[in-house]
Amino acid sequence: MTSEYLLRTLLMLILALFSANASNWLYLAKLSSVGSISEEETCEKLKGLIQRQVQICKRNVEVMDAVRRGAQLAIDECQFQFRNRRWNCSTLETLPVFGKVVTQGTREAAFVYAISSASVAFAVTRACSSGELEKCGCDRNVHGVSPEGFQWSGCSDNIAYGVAFSQSFVDVRERSKGLSSSRALMNLHNNEAGRKAILNNMRVECKCHGVSGSCEVKTCWKAMPPFRKVGNVIKEKFDGATEVEQRRIGTTKVLVPKNSQFKPHTDEDLVYLDPSPDFCDHDPKNGVLGTAGRHCNKTSKAIDGCELMCCGRGFHTEEVEVVDRCSCKFHWCCYVKCKQCRKMVEMHTCR
Amino acid sequence: MAGAIIENMSTKKLVIVGVILLLFQVFSFLVGGLIAPSPTTAVHYLATKCVDVRKHHQKSKWFMPWGPNQCEKIRDFDEATVKMIEANDIVFAVHIPLPNKEMSPWFQFMLVILQFDIAFKLVNQIEEGAVATIDVGLAYRDNTVSDWIEMAHSIEQRKLSCNFTTIKSPENEGRYYECDLLPFMEVGSVAHKYYLLNIRLPVNERKRVNVGIGEIKDIRLVGIHQNGGFTKVWFAMKTFLTPSILIIMVWYWRRITLMTRPPVLLEKVIFALGISMTFINIPVEWFSVGFNWTWMLLFGDIRQGIFYAMLLSFWIIFCGEHLMDQTERNRFAVYWKQVGPIVFGSFCLFIFDMCERGVQLKNPFYSIWASDVGTELAMAFIIVAGICACLYFLFLCFMVFQVFRNISGKRTSLPAMSKARRLHYEGLIFRFKFLMLVTLACAAMTVIFFIISQVNEGHWHWGDYTVQVNSAFFTGIYGMWNLYVFAIMFLYAPSHKRYGDEQSNGDLGVNSGEDIQLTTTITHVDGPTEIYKMTGKEAQE
Repeated sequence: MTSEYLLRTLLMLILALFSANASNWLYLAKLSSVGSISEEETCEKLKGLIQRQVQICKRNVEVMDAVRRGAQLAIDECQFQFRNRRWNCSTLETLPVFGKVVTQGTREAAFVYAISSASVAFAVTRACSSGELEKCGCDRNVHGVSPEGFQWSGCSDNIAYGVAFSQSFVDVRERSKGLSSSRALMNLHNNEAGRKAILNNMRVECKCHGVSGSCEVKTCWKAMPPFRKVGNVIKEKFDGATEVEQRRIGTTKVLVPKNSQFKPHTDEDLVYLDPSPDFCDHDPKNGVLGTAGRHCNKTSKAIDGCELMCCGRGFHTEEVEVVDRCSCKFHWCCYVKCKQCRKMVEMHTCR
Repeated sequence: MAGAIIENMSTKKLVIVGVILLLFQVFSFLVGGLIAPSPTTAVHYLATKCVDVRKHHQKSKWFMPWGPNQCEKIRDFDEATVKMIEANDIVFAVHIPLPNKEMSPWFQFMLVILQFDIAFKLVNQIEEGAVATIDVGLAYRDNTVSDWIEMAHSIEQRKLSCNFTTIKSPENEGRYYECDLLPFMEVGSVAHKYYLLNIRLPVNERKRVNVGIGEIKDIRLVGIHQNGGFTKVWFAMKTFLTPSILIIMVWYWRRITLMTRPPVLLEKVIFALGISMTFINIPVEWFSVGFNWTWMLLFGDIRQGIFYAMLLSFWIIFCGEHLMDQTERNRFAVYWKQVGPIVFGSFCLFIFDMCERGVQLKNPFYSIWASDVGTELAMAFIIVAGICACLYFLFLCFMVFQVFRNISGKRTSLPAMSKARRLHYEGLIFRFKFLMLVTLACAAMTVIFFIISQVNEGHWHWGDYTVQVNSAFFTGIYGMWNLYVFAIMFLYAPSHKRYGDEQSNGDLGVNSGEDIQLTTTITHVDGPTEIYKMTGKEAQE
């Protein structure tokens, strides 16, 4: 019994040390076959979770569906934000989800960590508001909850729970490693920056409801921004990310900008350690798909232009007939009646 | 008003009274700041998208977003498109409150705000002046197993005022419009434990219903209710204040009836102020805990309205009675010009309130702001009330100015007057200036705290304590106006030194001096004769 237990612990330890990277839990998004995660046993079967995450999963089974939606949301948003770049956030069907790019300390990794921790906070908060979760704002584990309960003073905002859950679930891998390595510091920083992108962009909305609707009595609350907004904020931070290195100040290790001329980064900024590859050529070993076969914009001078996108290899041009929807009639949901319009478009694809 | 207590009180006693009142004032702030939680709570709800799978939508089917018997859900509308579900089959379900919680009568009221998340699509934009037609039902139950009982059902229209802040280009598809908050529902009592909202957005292309409202992604609601803790503190405060004001009122009226002359106008107005304060204070809200009285919200508005109107009238009449220009007033009719705007303004606001909260008694989803005519009507009422308020303040300022002009006029002639006249005028001036000062201080406090509570985030951390600024504002200001009314009734009550003087013929100079103060501006009551009598006596002495 004890030997078996020891063996398991050892195995776990080894697993924890060598399992590829902390954003593997994003693989949850790929597990559409699992159905709904509603039983504790399912947690063990989930690929991509480290042991500590499995424990959290078991303790909070009801939240896991939201986490999975968060993972999907992160991937979708990443692909939207990077649709015009050489690295277009394409996912693989294997682990790690984004290929090796994310296991190195690159800018792209910084973005993926930030967007994924933000998306978990976002998805869990949404699940709270729709009543899928039972603990949420009144959970005693979350800081800021009133001791007297819902009837006396209401509960704290759901976002507090969402952020706290994101902190415990997403950060657990780095925390379990200890704050020694520069990668762990970078990941933790970027995770927090992602959550800050939500917290610092909350909209304050107010309603007056005093005598005759006057502002004698006014109630204000903070509303979560749409996730597209969060994605845009993090993308901006990606564009202005700071390259850092680890330095020891006193007994603690901190990340400081490599170039001392630069302003030190804030909590909201993304940081990275290694420069990114150029993502031009197909490199299956590192999970880089390369830009061959990608569409590009002939007229653009930016990164989506053919010159940059194709890394100077040139591009094919072909005329294709595109069937497009036009003069459509929409309902607010689910119903579209369109005519089909055909038009000829010039398509440019990288060699 | 004849010689009031305030004139005959020694400065020492006045200071003692002031300090005691100030202590109560501080106490009322602390009660709100330290004991009570914040006054209201806002809870976010995200509507669950249920699918009505029945062929014909019969009545009396309620869709639960979670828990046992939950509806067939869809995650998003792309899923619906794939499954060929129509817009008319989609029901947005919201359960109030969230799981494992219960609503309580202590919440007093519940209002719900509606927000649409509408994604921008280049080909499917929100049309100019788009109106959403909402078919909504509200049901309640008091335990988790019984059937839902319908409380209200209505078809409402809400204007979508949304704007898209970035350029309308293909890259920005999928961003959300920024839409104004829509008032959705207002219930004046929370008598049940669980509430359920079912919202449909029926589409009818022929009648142009719900066409051109863009691509709705989600419906979000925000439910606002008063915190139970705040309600309890508030009730406790009212229960404590009612007897204190009532006692001083009885005491005040007894003093007046003990006098030989009938009460003068100012005395009556002060008494009326006391009555209106008591009317607010009486904690009838205790009943709302046991009974389902939805009209409580409206009743509270009316009570406050009466008090405000009374307070404003009191200021005008107080100024008028201290004008010292030898004109006879003492009749309510003299003040019609000044009181008229107050009455008319309050009446306008009353009509407006009846149109909004009155109709909401019948239909909790009604909002006067939802229709164009309603908006214009409401604006008209509010503007008229605003004009009345401006008119009133102009009158008041003019009157205060007149009083001050007369005071300075009297000041110069004071030394030349006989002692009795001088004391009489000095008493008047002191009485006026004192009230002026106190009133200004109270008004300033109200305004300052109002601004603080508007600007502030709602609570301050102060060491280990969290001070709820908003609650402190409510209890503090409420306590302050109670103390104000209390102080006026106490300090401006007729002085008891008057009794007995009538027989004693004023054997002391001081006494006769006091007596003369008691004769008032209102010369017709007993003024001139008495003054002449007294001055005659003084001359004899």
